[in-house]
Amino acid sequence: MGQPSGMQVRPAKVAAAIFAGASMLAVFFGLPSAARYARADDPAVSAKNSYEGDAGQAATGRGLFNQYCAHCHGPNAVSPDPPRDLRRLKRSYGENMANVFHFTVTHGRPDKGMPNWTGRLDDETLWTIFAFLQTVQAEP
Amino acid sequence: MSRLSGMLAGSLLALSALPLGAAAESGKSWTIYGGDTANTRFSALTQINRGNVSKLRVAWVAQLGSLEAQESTPLVVDDTLFVTTSAGPRYVYALNAKDGTPKWKYAPEIPGDVQQTTCCGLDNRGVAYAGGKLFLGRLDAHLVALDASTGKELWKTQVVDYHEGAAITSPPILVKNLVITGYAGGEYGVRGAITAYDQDTGKQVWRTHTVPAAGEPAAETWKNDSWKFGGGAAWLVGSYDPQLNLVYYGASNPSPWGASVRGPDTSDYGKFTNLYTASTLALDADTGKIVWHYQTTPYDTWDYDGVNELVLADLDINGQKTPVGLKADRNGFFYVLNRQTGALISAQPFVMVNWAKEIDLKTGRPVEVPERRPRLDVWAKDICPNLFGGKNWEPMAYNPQTGLVYIPTFNLCMDLVGRKEERKKGAFYLAEEFDLDKPGPGGFMSEMVAWDPISQKRVWGSKEELPFMGGALTTGGGLVFHGNIQGWFKALDAKTGEELWKFNAGSGISQGAITYELDGKQYVAVVSGRLKTPPSFLGHTGERIFASSPEGGALFVFELPD
Repeated sequence: MGQPSGMQVRPAKVAAAIFAGASMLAVFFGLPSAARYARADDPAVSAKNSYEGDAGQAATGRGLFNQYCAHCHGPNAVSPDPPRDLRRLKRSYGENMANVFHFTVTHGRPDKGMPNWTGRLDDETLWTIFAFLQTVQAEP
Repeated sequence: MSRLSGMLAGSLLALSALPLGAAAESGKSWTIYGGDTANTRFSALTQINRGNVSKLRVAWVAQLGSLEAQESTPLVVDDTLFVTTSAGPRYVYALNAKDGTPKWKYAPEIPGDVQQTTCCGLDNRGVAYAGGKLFLGRLDAHLVALDASTGKELWKTQVVDYHEGAAITSPPILVKNLVITGYAGGEYGVRGAITAYDQDTGKQVWRTHTVPAAGEPAAETWKNDSWKFGGGAAWLVGSYDPQLNLVYYGASNPSPWGASVRGPDTSDYGKFTNLYTASTLALDADTGKIVWHYQTTPYDTWDYDGVNELVLADLDINGQKTPVGLKADRNGFFYVLNRQTGALISAQPFVMVNWAKEIDLKTGRPVEVPERRPRLDVWAKDICPNLFGGKNWEPMAYNPQTGLVYIPTFNLCMDLVGRKEERKKGAFYLAEEFDLDKPGPGGFMSEMVAWDPISQKRVWGSKEELPFMGGALTTGGGLVFHGNIQGWFKALDAKTGEELWKFNAGSGISQGAITYELDGKQYVAVVSGRLKTPPSFLGHTGERIFASSPEGGALFVFELPD
């Protein structure tokens, strides 16, 4: 339809892009939520989470959580509202919990009330908060 | 005869002479949020009274089609009842006030992303009525006018860009040809304003910012350029005195909660009071000019806000009939002000207060307890009341026959600390860390307090286990009606507080009830639908609240058996 041939997108390239960067595609193409998150074994994401199991970081993260997150997600992550109860992250997302966390915080869910925190909280802060959230997960 | 003195005399004649937007003609309807422009939530109706209220039963129920946080005060005009729902509102309904038969519904398109710029639940507190039109504010910070007979939208005006963190949750107040509204946003660093529009066209007539810009009077009360995101949001309802032609609005907490960017971060704050936040403002209704202000919490850092409604009454003060404004402030003190001049007459704590010793009657300022002022990275512990306040938006009621004010109170305390934080447009901007889940002493977290505003003393109290009890309605039948977060709707004896009747509506009740008479029969109406977001601030107490009743959305209307 008059489009230069060089601009055509081949199906194979689309498939490759999905595997390479699901989160980017989710933003542009509005994929269903199950496909919205980066893969759990994405080294670019996992590598940044250097605070796992670090009790000192978890304590700092608790304070940051209570400053930035508690007004919606409850003090110390004690929330009575299941969709906002972050103690259920592991139950809901299992191994993918870290990526769901990171993607949601850096993209937001505006229709659910969750802002995009990009530019406000850097990755170090996010993973510090995450280190705290790991300490309060409900049993599966 | 002034309407206020008329009320004191118990005369219905005076009520019929009220100007536009004021109390219902003959007192049988309920045509304005607060029952009258004085926000008394008093009805002179007596058919339902202390002797027969135990027989009260459901006449009809309307499902609202929306869950979460029903905070609407219905209006009754002639034989039509108007009620809004939560979520934007999702709907405005016009119903036959006798049996609930629907007449029309208005379903506006509200953008889904208003959720992130609405701090405290997707609520709407109702509409305002005048001259065949309804007026309402929405969570996308638009003000609209509807044809009251069809629900058709007549005009729509953007009051402020909601992406800044603003929302409109309360009905406007109508004065002469004007529709006057504020907006919420004190948790997002918006700069508050009160704006008047022409009722016929929606065109702006005046706008008064609640926080001065650089170079304007009172700008010196702000450190550097902190006024720019200074809060002072007028998110609740106004009152109006037609004789003085004054509109009264509360302005909210300053932004952010953490005070270090707004002043010296100490109880010795000097000139840095951050006007006109945490204040009551009296505005000339025609021009919007601030005639007087009274700041209840200078240099607020507790989110004590200042927005609570001013209830107008004429009281006998030292043998002299005095036009007063009554305010049960979030900060825990009950203020009696001369509403003509703004002069303080008296102020006493109506709940447990430990952040200030007293209000200095000469300066009008609280005498702070310095260790209970949180500072940057310095915790203040066990501050009472907590930031929901001694009283929040849930309305109080004033009964001129008992002379008492019925105040739905909180009994909660908190820990707070200031933190450094950058503002990002549309995101929460608090600069504080907090722990609010600290019940006050005594084994209760809410209490309906009957308060004598002249002696400034409590007369009786009716305790509730959980916080967020509902607002009050009081009647000539010697009754006080209120709900609670578990969903019970109760009638108390206005003189003693004795519980005379209760009904389980199945989901929490926050807003005050209304009453009206149609074809010789008195009805009482209240919306049910438990709050969701504010209890979530509370952690374990929030879990108890969620367990106590599910979300809901229904209007219950009660009557006596024939």
